[in-house]
Amino acid sequence: MSGVQTSPDFQAVSLRDVEALSDFYAEPDWMRAARRDAWTLAQDIPLPHQKEEAWRRIPLHRYPLDSLRVARMSRERTALDDLPPCWHYTMAPEDLVSGTLVHCNDVNSYQAMRPEDLRSGVVFDTLHRALPTHGDLIRRYWMQGRTTRPDFNKLTALHAALWHGGTFVYVPAGVRVSRPLQSLLAYDVDSGSGLHHTLIIAEKGSRVSLIQDRVSQERRPELNLEMVEIYAEEGAWVRYASFQHWGKARYSLSVQEANLARDANFLWINGALGGQMNKEFLSTSLNEPGARAQMYGYAFAVGEQHIDQSTYQHHRAPNTYSNLLYRNVLRDQARTVFYGMIRAEQEAAGMEGYQANNNLLLSDAHAYSIPGLEIRCNDVRCSHGSTTSRIDPQQLFYLQARGLPTRDAEGLIVQGFLRSVVERVPLAYMRDRLEEEIIQRFWAHV
Amino acid sequence: MEPVTLEIRDLHVNVEGKEILKGVSLVVRQGETHALMGPNGSGKSTLSYALMGHPHYEVTKGDVLINGESLLSLPPDERARRGLFLAMQYPVSVSGVTLQSFLHAATSAVRGYGDKAQTGARGWLNAHLIPLREFRKELNEDLDRLKMDPAFLQRYLNEGFSGGEKKRAEVLQMALLKPKFAILDETDSGLDIDAIRIVSENVNRLQQELTMGILVITHYQRLLNYIYPQFVHIFYEGRIFQSGDASLVDVLEEKGYDWVKDEVAQGTAAARS
Repeated sequence: MSGVQTSPDFQAVSLRDVEALSDFYAEPDWMRAARRDAWTLAQDIPLPHQKEEAWRRIPLHRYPLDSLRVARMSRERTALDDLPPCWHYTMAPEDLVSGTLVHCNDVNSYQAMRPEDLRSGVVFDTLHRALPTHGDLIRRYWMQGRTTRPDFNKLTALHAALWHGGTFVYVPAGVRVSRPLQSLLAYDVDSGSGLHHTLIIAEKGSRVSLIQDRVSQERRPELNLEMVEIYAEEGAWVRYASFQHWGKARYSLSVQEANLARDANFLWINGALGGQMNKEFLSTSLNEPGARAQMYGYAFAVGEQHIDQSTYQHHRAPNTYSNLLYRNVLRDQARTVFYGMIRAEQEAAGMEGYQANNNLLLSDAHAYSIPGLEIRCNDVRCSHGSTTSRIDPQQLFYLQARGLPTRDAEGLIVQGFLRSVVERVPLAYMRDRLEEEIIQRFWAHV
Repeated sequence: MEPVTLEIRDLHVNVEGKEILKGVSLVVRQGETHALMGPNGSGKSTLSYALMGHPHYEVTKGDVLINGESLLSLPPDERARRGLFLAMQYPVSVSGVTLQSFLHAATSAVRGYGDKAQTGARGWLNAHLIPLREFRKELNEDLDRLKMDPAFLQRYLNEGFSGGEKKRAEVLQMALLKPKFAILDETDSGLDIDAIRIVSENVNRLQQELTMGILVITHYQRLLNYIYPQFVHIFYEGRIFQSGDASLVDVLEEKGYDWVKDEVAQGTAAARS
């Protein structure tokens, strides 16, 4: 009966928590079964080993695995103004967006949408509320990715069993959501672990942008096991801007994957600023001809932070295009890992894949950069490159000679360095806010 | 009232252990225009960088003072705030920093807005900046005078700028920072005749408005047809070889720098015998 034992690494959860979630949200049978199967799977798979390439540079043994637990559940919804003010800063005013969805401790606490988008059939709500109404649709897509599946590793299996709180975006065929949607995941000191699941389904020819922010405050080390699934059907345009501003004691594993159908267009911006340790799997699968993806990311790591990102550009069809740019700034004893892979399958002739990772060091911090190519077809255009450098003394002198004190000049250079990523963010309001966050981070703990 | 002076006293400067400036002395008063002319490799640019405080240039002896206050212990930004400006021969590009945000930050810093930011707690991010509306008004006027397209402001600092665009951007900075003393280091290099005219007209106008002291560093006399110096110094092998009035420009135009070389060689020989 070893298959049903509680894993010694995760003392605080059991099959009872799995059942309690299904009961509390009155889930359909297929979801109950999916959770239970995932739980069983989680017992069978060992933790990822540090010998595996993707886990080599992140000390998983320092993750507070035994803290994994499900938050207290409640169905109360509040007004936006009831949220702690310290969380408001991440959100754009509601008149700039088509909808707002807020989760506190993985419990939905606010939801609003513009009537015109609601009328065209767009769904922007918590997964728990969508399951009864859009169950069959969700089931068709549920955890179907290469990485966004229960058996990717033990932690994704646990996520599949215990996921709690979910952002669901559904855009019917041909519908264009007029403004970006925004989703906030907030965790306060009473939170359980983060177990959020995000699912975006953009039907044929539809258009949608989602901006998703993550904030937290912890009393003690907390775990975040998160998953994001994006499906862009034929000719759909999807933009996903994802930012984490985790508190100092959060240890996160986030598995995110986009699957693109024929001629789908995907823009991805990933901003990593907070947390103690972060491991992110960020994959795009270009499954059908003509699919195009742009993947941008930035990280600003300080103190003892680890930000470790494995990106994957998976070309599985002819004439697909992907372009990736990840830029990291490091200070103090921080560490970043960029492990980037472009893989072109046999049937991906005529593909183009580009990848660049640039790191800017403000101290003797260490930036690992491991770009890779796996090409199994002919007629490809591929390039990858990485640089790691310090602030250019000539730039510094030039700015100083114009009256800017050293620190101000360095701050301007850092902002400039990250701007090529930030400028891709869909909403001007958000760009300004991110710029502000970057410069505040630059000035913090001087 | 005595005019403000920029005084260079017996300045010796090493670059990577090698002495490049071997005792330069020069006094520029506000409102005066000096030209420092010399062949390539004579140390002209070393002088301009050393005056601005580039860390690569080591002052081993002598002093640089504005109105009696030594600049040597000050970093470049403090020198800029004391009224010194260097229009560089090769302006550096900074990716991701728009010309406007840079000008806004620099102008605010030189005018002392940065000091206010230290005290402001909330909303501090913009407390160190001149209010944008006020700044844009001033900026637009200066752009207009330099015949620069406002679209320039959204381009990244000097990135992909043509030679002429870079030099206009340098003069635009000068106009906003309003220095007491400006050093123009080979400002005419890479400029066509129209650009030289616009640049020099604006330098001359700023000199009038600000009673600015100017030190034009140049190899050729071309720029001096537009910015007229009252004082001309011939610079050779890290020293001022000879000083005089504007007529020296004509002497150089006629005879080149070879006669300087010959006279220096003779002088050295005479000293030996």
